[in-house]
Amino acid sequence: MVSSGTGQPNAKEKKYDRQLRLWGANGQQALEASHICLVNATATGCEVLKNLILPGIGKFTVIDDATIAEVDLGVNFFVDAEGVGLPRAEYTCKYLSELNPDVQGSYINDSLSNLITSDPTFISTHGITAIILCSPLPSHLVHTLQVMNPDLAIFHVYCVGFISSLRIFLPELCIVETHPDSLIDLRLFNPWVGLLSFAKNATRDMNAMSEHQHGHIPYLAILLHYLEKWKEEHGERLPGTYKEKNEFKKLLLTGMRTDVAGGIEENWEEAAAAVLANVKPHEISSGTREVLKDDRCQNLDQDSDNFWIIARGIAEFVASPDQGDGLLPLPGGIPDMKAESQDYVKLQNLYRQKAASDLAQVAQNVSQILVSLNRPETDIPEEDISLWCRNANHVRRIRYRPFIDEWMVDIFHAKAVYSDLKYNPDTLLPIYIALRAYQTFYDEYGHAPGQENGKDDSAELLTHARVYLSKVADMLKLPEDEEFPSTEVLRALDMWCREVTRYSGAELQNIASLTGGVVSQEVLKCVTRQYLPVNNMVVVDGVQSKSAVWEL
Amino acid sequence: MATTGENSRWQHLDKILQRNGPFCDDSFTSGNVEEILGRWKILVIGAGGLGCEILKNLALSGFKDIHVIDMDTIDVSNLNRQFLFRQEDIGKPKAEVAAAFVMKRVKGVKITPYYGAIQDKGENYYMQFNMVVCGLDSVEARRWINAILVDMVDMNNPESLKPLIDGGTEGFKGQSRVILPTISSCYECSLDMLTPPTAVPLCTLASIPRQPAHCIEWASILEWPRVMGEDKKLDTDNPEHIQWLYEQALERAKEFNITGVTYSMTQGVVKNIIPAIASTNAIIAASCCNEAFKIATNANPYLNNYMMYTGNDGVYTYTFEHERKPDCPVCGNQATTFEAKGDWTLQEFIDRLKEKPDVQIKRPTLSTQRKKLYYQGPPQLQEQTRPNLDKKLRELITSGEEVGITDPGLPFSLRLNVVFD
Ligand SMILES: [Zn+2]
Repeated sequence: MVSSGTGQPNAKEKKYDRQLRLWGANGQQALEASHICLVNATATGCEVLKNLILPGIGKFTVIDDATIAEVDLGVNFFVDAEGVGLPRAEYTCKYLSELNPDVQGSYINDSLSNLITSDPTFISTHGITAIILCSPLPSHLVHTLQVMNPDLAIFHVYCVGFISSLRIFLPELCIVETHPDSLIDLRLFNPWVGLLSFAKNATRDMNAMSEHQHGHIPYLAILLHYLEKWKEEHGERLPGTYKEKNEFKKLLLTGMRTDVAGGIEENWEEAAAAVLANVKPHEISSGTREVLKDDRCQNLDQDSDNFWIIARGIAEFVASPDQGDGLLPLPGGIPDMKAESQDYVKLQNLYRQKAASDLAQVAQNVSQILVSLNRPETDIPEEDISLWCRNANHVRRIRYRPFIDEWMVDIFHAKAVYSDLKYNPDTLLPIYIALRAYQTFYDEYGHAPGQENGKDDSAELLTHARVYLSKVADMLKLPEDEEFPSTEVLRALDMWCREVTRYSGAELQNIASLTGGVVSQEVLKCVTRQYLPVNNMVVVDGVQSKSAVWEL
Repeated sequence: MATTGENSRWQHLDKILQRNGPFCDDSFTSGNVEEILGRWKILVIGAGGLGCEILKNLALSGFKDIHVIDMDTIDVSNLNRQFLFRQEDIGKPKAEVAAAFVMKRVKGVKITPYYGAIQDKGENYYMQFNMVVCGLDSVEARRWINAILVDMVDMNNPESLKPLIDGGTEGFKGQSRVILPTISSCYECSLDMLTPPTAVPLCTLASIPRQPAHCIEWASILEWPRVMGEDKKLDTDNPEHIQWLYEQALERAKEFNITGVTYSMTQGVVKNIIPAIASTNAIIAASCCNEAFKIATNANPYLNNYMMYTGNDGVYTYTFEHERKPDCPVCGNQATTFEAKGDWTLQEFIDRLKEKPDVQIKRPTLSTQRKKLYYQGPPQLQEQTRPNLDKKLRELITSGEEVGITDPGLPFSLRLNVVFD
């Protein structure tokens, strides 16, 4: 889709310019291949779709058996007075489709529960990538949907009054482009021969240098020069502790000239500033180690995903003494620094060439693996391997827990809840628990808890919350004398149960819109396989203007 | 007119506004939407990515009298998030199209657009509103409206204090905040939280470029005026101009063996493009409007006073109270101390000033009680004061002397006690 970058952008690039700068042509391509399905065209649901249609998903489908009522007009922007009495799925689909002519919209004027019975394979026959469920929905329906479609990405949303929650389930997600703050890895503790000799040349006879020369030594060379010096003075050891790094900083600053204009040299200050973040051994991150040790990386077969085949190529690179010898392939970028143009470009090329030669070795490993799997040796584009190499220390594999384990309170869930309630003084879990109680109440009565007709459901909600917490306590076999939940937690729970019943199931546009934003960000991350989606629960607290995430 | 009952579209809002909640404080008085919000007049600044969302949210929160200011017209690159605009609206004023769209969709709301700059209006205009919600992408405009609202506060007239709610986004990140002028930390108090625009020294651009961006800035800052002369202004919205810059930058990059100059990057650098998506605008705009709603209704406590959101890695928010700065040039009452070296030339002093994250000025005019140090204009005065740029500070001022600084972008002046160390 995207032209080579040498000429002016085409119409699509112009329209999507601001987002292409975030996820690139490959992210956009993935987005355009997706089909997102919404169950219940509530204000929240329509807001989610709005934020996905605008950047250009391929298709969307609205499933809803409701007809538009007057009350929808006060909260949902995608209905209006002319629509009252008409099917909500069809009507919202029309207004949502107007947002982007490139997106194909469709609707089903029916409920999810009917659809599951009448067309149990609709998810796969329609090629649905992800489904957004806007509660309230009976919990058995949500669980049935998941059991019938274990590989379906599900975003289950509650939005009521000032609060909302999002529970995500995705089939295992492997992400190469996680977009960390920086991909730079200077390898100061593991310099290769070419880099060392560059540093030596750049710092030779520093005292004889002119003011201009001395003030333009690239700071990387300064760091490498003083690391060598440090090693000589410390029996080949490198500065490791915080204290040693500070001493190292002092050591290198002794080389800075102060009898110059301004009293300092910028490049030396840059060197000192880079010490804490960059003077360190190369370490393989825990996320990457997890991937490289994964069974699917170790035991490949013909159907293995490209991600795992490249991962194996990288693992072999790291393990081989002739290749990485314990190190990952070099990403190859360097930061800007004060230097003469030609010195900087030379230095940049050193890193780029090393990265290219690491990449070539990984690519060779990958083709050998492909051949051994009886696949064509060029089956994986070099571009993909290169992307993996540049991001090697930041790749992630994320596994999601199915809804039922959380709902039934398994041991993992109980532990997570217990520790947050016990050790996090600002815990927002009482909101989650109040929403769970809301679901239990809904399953029983078929409507939201509230304060209608002189009846107040908050006491009943609190009972459900306490029953749930005693399940947690039982699961953990807590001793009789342990106070759980604490009085503070109970007080918070009581308040949230009362606040939730105050809403009587009401949706507020602001919180619906905020939640629509949060959910759509997560869908975008999941569909483009870029950045890191939440694993697995988010709560938005519009009362205190906060949020929290947990793996539950 | 009563709005409760089965047939009202405000049933949802009324449920919440008619009942007391456990987090409400004493200031909450229950009522229906029209009783509570009917008297509010609210100003929205910006009808772009945040502004479109803000207008929709306020209209559906029950606000009836909304004004909106925006000086821009609709561009094709807005369509990926500014959901009130369509292909056929390109070129029309944002404020007008957005106002008309929301009024058509949400019956009964009155939105008054103004197609122009906030600086066109004065205190009389701003005084008519109860609250201001800002969805801007410009630091300068925010500083301007913040300073006006702080300046308008009259201690004897509680109505003169207009809460300012401000939002901003970049990619998957954003922030929203509530400013009570003169009471809580103002926009100027927190200026140092912004990363200052990385000003590359001119000498780097002129003689030692290292990055593709250096080549692009060279083309736009140095090469354009040199080749085109003073009369032909660079228009960053003109694709032919961008194309020219791109070609110049590419040529220069080749000369220095620098790789990576693209058309898209050229556009990004010269227009200072910030990546933007609908999702993040929705989050931040809704957060701002949620605070506006809470301030107007007391239905729950409002934000005190800053929330940061980031969606790059999971979902993370940080909510905290940003403290007022006693030496804030807008809302504080102490002069700021600025440490300098007597050996600096005035030019060096100005360069350092520009780098300081809590100052951020572009075209400063400097003076002391007794002399003019440097004037940006008129030409005669500029001519007359230009030689001072090469003089050392100690030749011009004494340590501890107060230097006043004005900038055409700011409606206030900075006063610095310049101390030599
Ligand atoms: Zn201030």
